[in-house]
Amino acid sequence: MSVASVASAHVTGTLESLSTSSLAGTLVTLASVLMLLAAFACLGSKLFNRYVFYYGVQSVVLSFAAAVVAYHFDSGELWALAFITLALKGIAIPVATRRLLLQRLELRRDVALSTGLSTSLIIGALLTGFAFLVIQPQDLPAGAVASSAVPLSTALVLLGALCMVVRRHTIAQLIGWLITENGVFLGAITLASTFPFIVEAGIFLDLVAAVLIMVVFVSGITRRLAEATASELRELRG
Amino acid sequence: MTALIVLVVLLPLLGALAVAARANSRGAGIAMVVGALGSFAAAIVLAAEVAHRGRVEAWGGFLYVDALGAFFSVVVSLVVVLASFGSAAYLRVEEQRGELSSFQARLYFVFFSVFASGMLAVFSTGNLGLLWVLVETSTLASVVLVGLEGKARSLEAAWKYVIISSFGVTIALVATLFLFFSASTAHLTTSERLTWLSLFSHAHSLSPTSMRLAFLLAVVGYGTKVGLAPMHTWLPDAHSEAPSPASAMLSAGLLVTGMYAIIRYRAIAIACLGARYPGTVLLFLGFLTVFIGVMFLVRANNYKRLFAYSSIEHMGIIAVALGFGGTLGLYGALLQILAHAVGKAVLFLSSGHLVLGYGTRDAAKVRGVLTALPLAGGVLLLASLGVAGSPPFGVFLSELTIVRAGFAETNPFLPALLLLFLVIGFVSLLATTLAMVSGEHGDVEPVPPYPARSDRLLASIPLVGGLAAFALLGLWIPSGLNELLMHSIRAIS
Repeated sequence: MSVASVASAHVTGTLESLSTSSLAGTLVTLASVLMLLAAFACLGSKLFNRYVFYYGVQSVVLSFAAAVVAYHFDSGELWALAFITLALKGIAIPVATRRLLLQRLELRRDVALSTGLSTSLIIGALLTGFAFLVIQPQDLPAGAVASSAVPLSTALVLLGALCMVVRRHTIAQLIGWLITENGVFLGAITLASTFPFIVEAGIFLDLVAAVLIMVVFVSGITRRLAEATASELRELRG
Repeated sequence: MTALIVLVVLLPLLGALAVAARANSRGAGIAMVVGALGSFAAAIVLAAEVAHRGRVEAWGGFLYVDALGAFFSVVVSLVVVLASFGSAAYLRVEEQRGELSSFQARLYFVFFSVFASGMLAVFSTGNLGLLWVLVETSTLASVVLVGLEGKARSLEAAWKYVIISSFGVTIALVATLFLFFSASTAHLTTSERLTWLSLFSHAHSLSPTSMRLAFLLAVVGYGTKVGLAPMHTWLPDAHSEAPSPASAMLSAGLLVTGMYAIIRYRAIAIACLGARYPGTVLLFLGFLTVFIGVMFLVRANNYKRLFAYSSIEHMGIIAVALGFGGTLGLYGALLQILAHAVGKAVLFLSSGHLVLGYGTRDAAKVRGVLTALPLAGGVLLLASLGVAGSPPFGVFLSELTIVRAGFAETNPFLPALLLLFLVIGFVSLLATTLAMVSGEHGDVEPVPPYPARSDRLLASIPLVGGLAAFALLGLWIPSGLNELLMHSIRAIS
């Protein structure tokens, strides 16, 4: 009996008991798919407040996934993380971006696209396929939710990077980075749900600081250039 | 011992405290210098203690200093000392000229302190998750320094820096996750699965597939901070647009901090996978970086960008040395880190004299520095000779060690290729700086960079002191340093 309890404690540590067929596993997989859709919606839109809206939706779904994992393992630290995610990524960052950047700088339509919307959606689809190709299921615990969520989170990381590459506006690049960050977090709750809390808290602190600094720079650059597109930022070369 | 580590990490915050106590930029500068000197002294004592009594471990592995960490603390706290002297003088002149408001000057000292303290904290933790958090913290603090002047060019550089390196550091976070996951096959508690020492000693029971992925992602992610090609594109912009003492910190301190993380991951990867895979990754990226650095050295016309590309070249050389491996390779890599830190700090500080004196960063407009500003010109000439790899300076000795390690550990083609790159780099760096220091002044009539006597003194101390240390390193390695280097190598192999 003692052997069994030790083994199960070890297994809960790696989230291997959260199988794809269980209700919690299904919910986490569903949330990952919704997050991927939100990233595609972001990639297929041209309006700044849509970017921010879809990012907010994605973060709320992410916090839902974290809450499911927290409920499944009955872990207070994971509950705390789910609430921080909701408060910070789902509410505070979208509201702050909208108030401090979009409204104050009167930004509406993103014209600094280096590819058409359909092209970037096609590239996004290819990247998603690529993510499923490179993440070999045999490296991940068999039958666990990680085997479906980790390729999806890799796809989110790549889509965020794509957003940063094809959009030249500083705000679009900021949202692209935040999508990447969400993808990493999704991977974290499924692959490494028992990350030490102090480290997770530090990661969130850095996220807040990074967003604050970026907001300051975006408004500074926008004021300097009236129309802040990173494509106009090409004085420094060579 | 724990108290000593806390002193090393927290003393640089004196500068921020002085600002909080409403000191002006002179007061904050002096506080910064005092804090940095204290931190350097504590780091020396710590290194001696660690070399004598062995590693320090506390707070469940969150606090951990071994010989390698102590060595890096000494290197970076020395850089902080040099840059603090430079900052105290440079910021005051910028403020007097109206380039910066007094608010901006105080902002500089707050973030300079946080930046310094964050870097030193990286070397005193054994938890790789916390290490990630601290690397990101010091990066964010340094971003503010890059964008401080608020001009379109510096904002552009700061944006490029923050967005590219945040993305890179996010990749490093994925590496941390995979490392944590690779330990699920070993019998470790969740906190031990991120603790470097327990991962290193249980390396044989980590899952090799995820370890391979973790190492690759860590080299790419932290490599973005180090300036390994092709993730180096932010580096020349940020290093040329920051105020010169901040450039010295970025180039001599932050790059080295990123390299520290890579060295830690390399140690675990070699213990788990054998030397071949990590060595190949580092050799490939290292040679690519040296190539890119040298090629841009040939065509750079902004002298601060020139020095930045020379930093990229140096980081590539260090990656190559880590790829060669062996005791000789590691010895060369660590010696190169120390010599690079001292030499590049001096070089960027001397560029501060030129920026203030000539008001331009264009190397073609700067002529006759030796006659106009004898001290800055002399230091510029000698430091760029040294950084390029000429004897008797430290870089010559370390690069020679690395090439010897190459001949000993791999086929002779690779070190020969490295030598070729070093020669091209030497010629192109020296061609630009020799033209700058010699002759009569050209289009721009230089003004005295530091009109006040106290500023002149503060600005000269790091130039003379740093250059002396840089030259000494090539001639003589003190037995204490040698012992520390050997202990560091033993700690990671």
